[in-house]
Amino acid sequence: MAEKLKDAEDRMLESLLQSAPIADDGFSHRVISRIRRRLWLRRLSLPVAMFVGGAIAIKPATQILVASSKLMTVVPQGMFEIPTGWIPQMQVVVLGAMLLAAAMLGIRMLEE
Amino acid sequence: MAFYGLRLIANPATLLQDEDQNLVARAVVSQDTMAFGELIRRHQSQIRNFLRKLTRNPDEADDLAQECFMHAWDRLQTFSGRGSFIGWLLKVAYTTFLQSKRKSKRYTEVLDEAGYAAQIESRSYTQSTDEISDLDKLLAVLTQEERAILVMSYACGLSHREIGEATGLPVGTVKSVIFRGKEKIRTSFDIKDHQHG
Repeated sequence: MAEKLKDAEDRMLESLLQSAPIADDGFSHRVISRIRRRLWLRRLSLPVAMFVGGAIAIKPATQILVASSKLMTVVPQGMFEIPTGWIPQMQVVVLGAMLLAAAMLGIRMLEE
Repeated sequence: MAFYGLRLIANPATLLQDEDQNLVARAVVSQDTMAFGELIRRHQSQIRNFLRKLTRNPDEADDLAQECFMHAWDRLQTFSGRGSFIGWLLKVAYTTFLQSKRKSKRYTEVLDEAGYAAQIESRSYTQSTDEISDLDKLLAVLTQEERAILVMSYACGLSHREIGEATGLPVGTVKSVIFRGKEKIRTSFDIKDHQHG
């Protein structure tokens, strides 16, 4: 009410509408806990989605690789050089990526 | 917003002395929940009081206040730092309140279709009639908008410009809503007679 001088009515409204301060009583703690929980859910969602996606994709991905390697045998020899130990290595790479994501998450947790 | 002098790890002792703007900057830049916690501690009373007057139900108001601070955390980067932080928070609180009203209106419409609304309304009326205060009577004559604007002006001490920013209304409209609200209170409670004798 800085715009104009207060009259008696303004003062009466102020006294009626103004209330005693409300004690925190753990209110801020509850809100912060909710925010922290949500932050963690957000941070976890990407690695979890990667992990689940990877777990779901690993079987069809290997099947595709196996099928394509068989297809490659049909192709005249010498056209492509395909290493035979390639397919199991791919699984290791996927697993490694997952472990890396988990390790990054762990480091982030430690930082927090 | 000025982001100078930022520390990544908040020190609880320095948080108490920091200005709102610095705490907001910390919370935005380093997702510092401790800095935001200090902001909540500073302003929770005003926000809860504001929402209690709008809803006239302390439990509902406290739930809305929690939602309001959650929204505030999500939108903290939109705080420009030009106005007061409490003004910005009241804007978030008012938006949260309006959203909840819209939701409950939809809910009532659904119940109404199912024939439950009348039962629920009569139940809530018998609960509230036991505890009607002068303030409740005063707030009851005002519309939602008038109540919010009068509370922002008289209880929270916001300027007409700040109220305009919080409600999205032009300053002229804010002034006329305040005038209209006061007029309603005057006619409903015969305040002039009371003042003069």
